[in-house]
Amino acid sequence: MSKPLLSLQNVEKQFGTFKAVDQVSIDINENEFFALLGASGSGKTTLLRMIAGFEDLTSGALLLDGDDISAVPAHRRPVNLMFQSYALFPHLTVARNIAYGLEMERLPRKEITARVDEILETIQLSHVAARKPDQLSGGQRQRVALARALVKRPRILLLDEPLGALDKKLRGEMQLELKRIQDEFKITFIVVTHDQEEALVMADRIAILKDGKLLQIGSPSEVYEHPNSRFSAEFIGVMNFLPVVRSGDGYQDRNGAAITATDRGVLGHGATLVAAVRPERMLLNPEPHLNQLTGRISALAYHGLDLQVHLETPSSPQPVMVRLTADAAEGLNLSIGDTLAVGWSAKDTRIFDA
Amino acid sequence: MDHRKSTRFMLLVLSGVFAFLYIPISVLLALSFNEGGLPTAWTGFSVKWYGALFSNQDILGAALNTLIVAVVSTLMATALGTLLAIGVEIRRRKGRFLETIIFAPMIIPDIVLAIALLSFFSMLNVTMGLHTIIFSHVVFNLAFVCAVVRARLKNFDWSIVEASTDLGASILTTLRRIVLPVLMPAIVAGALLAFTLSVDEFIIAFFTAGAGRDSITLPMQIFAMIRFGVTPEINALSTIVMSVSLVALALSQRLNRGGLPGQ
Repeated sequence: MSKPLLSLQNVEKQFGTFKAVDQVSIDINENEFFALLGASGSGKTTLLRMIAGFEDLTSGALLLDGDDISAVPAHRRPVNLMFQSYALFPHLTVARNIAYGLEMERLPRKEITARVDEILETIQLSHVAARKPDQLSGGQRQRVALARALVKRPRILLLDEPLGALDKKLRGEMQLELKRIQDEFKITFIVVTHDQEEALVMADRIAILKDGKLLQIGSPSEVYEHPNSRFSAEFIGVMNFLPVVRSGDGYQDRNGAAITATDRGVLGHGATLVAAVRPERMLLNPEPHLNQLTGRISALAYHGLDLQVHLETPSSPQPVMVRLTADAAEGLNLSIGDTLAVGWSAKDTRIFDA
Repeated sequence: MDHRKSTRFMLLVLSGVFAFLYIPISVLLALSFNEGGLPTAWTGFSVKWYGALFSNQDILGAALNTLIVAVVSTLMATALGTLLAIGVEIRRRKGRFLETIIFAPMIIPDIVLAIALLSFFSMLNVTMGLHTIIFSHVVFNLAFVCAVVRARLKNFDWSIVEASTDLGASILTTLRRIVLPVLMPAIVAGALLAFTLSVDEFIIAFFTAGAGRDSITLPMQIFAMIRFGVTPEINALSTIVMSVSLVALALSQRLNRGGLPGQ
């Protein structure tokens, strides 16, 4: 394993009596697209601002290429931030906004012009170079903010909710666009987001934060398939939770049905437990060796590629979500009120503390 | 029916108010061009009183004094008031007390401020003259500039300051290249307002000018002349002072409106 580019070591941030970031340690690699994922108040933005240099560390260390940069002021760090509000300079044109950071490096005028032109080309905004920010659309402003930070060729580009202000369709396009740009510029990206889908689509690795603590870190498929806590499981994607109790070697749901899980799937050992299973892991016509439940269909939602079925069952206080592919649902003629039996395998079962 | 009646009544009141405000000024303006110079009879259009004005050494000297006081006090008040506004906005979270005392010179009656400044200068044994008038005008103009700039700062997006820092600018560079240019419309508006206030300020100048003719300002000169009756020269002079003030004020409002979003 090569040396990490950025290393957060037991980083803490205290505001008065409130601990915004609590003993977080993360290593981020060169050229990685890293996502800090969490709800508001999880400490993700504070963490990003500490890396940028806008917040001091209460304790811990921040190493870039092995050197502690926690005492380096923001304007001397080889790290740039794309602000959530974009923070474009309203009195400067697009081209001057982008040139600003290069002017601060006192580069020759010729080189500045060349690099600004080049990046305007990349983000396809050459035609608005002479406009002021208030004459741009939201999507254009977002790209200017990105270009302004990128043009400095920082070691790390920090992005604070980069797609938060865009509408849904544009957001989908920009997710792929950001990945393309990251690939092209070969710069490490650290993105802060509360949108789990965004993190799954864009990031190479995701860190899930809650109440200032790091809960889990891993690739999108790792955190999706192997969440290490009930919170991670709930935060990423949709998850069904069935209250269970221990029974011999296995578990038993509220209806008395046996639930089995593989050893790897057992992540909770407390007194109150839940069995978790993803809606798409539920199968129709279950074979007898599978975990299973029977319920009454309370709602059906057609999504084109798949059909979401809500099952009311004595096994769970909330309706259980089942996702069937359009192919599997075809010919079944499911309707509300029907009874449906579904099953899932032990390896798709996780046991968490409730 | 009722609605139309009340609309007509309101229009009547409005015309009354405007007439009350502007007829005296119009009369003054008209009389400054009256050849005969008497307020009782119009004898023909003439600019001769303006000519008389510009050959009156007392008036020209006073006008020069006023210009010096206005320009110098405006420059000082603008620089200090702008920095004060930025500082207070940054420290705002530490309480409103600072905000209140800054605006005191705007609210305290001029006569009180005039007496206070006079006592202050006497206490320090300062020889009074143009410099004390300038200092006194800085005192109240500071508050006005600060108020205008602070109004603009309410809508100021502080994230651009962080963005500038993030892109490699020091605090001073950020102030020079980002904060001041963005605030410039308000700074210029504040300066024009300060200039206007200084040009026609009488009471404070009168109290802090000291003895002697060297530090007489235009309003003081007018006051001295008017004791022997309103002459046509005074009408002409007043018209000029009013025009300068109006232009500065209109410019100031226009600038400040142009920059504020949503207006």
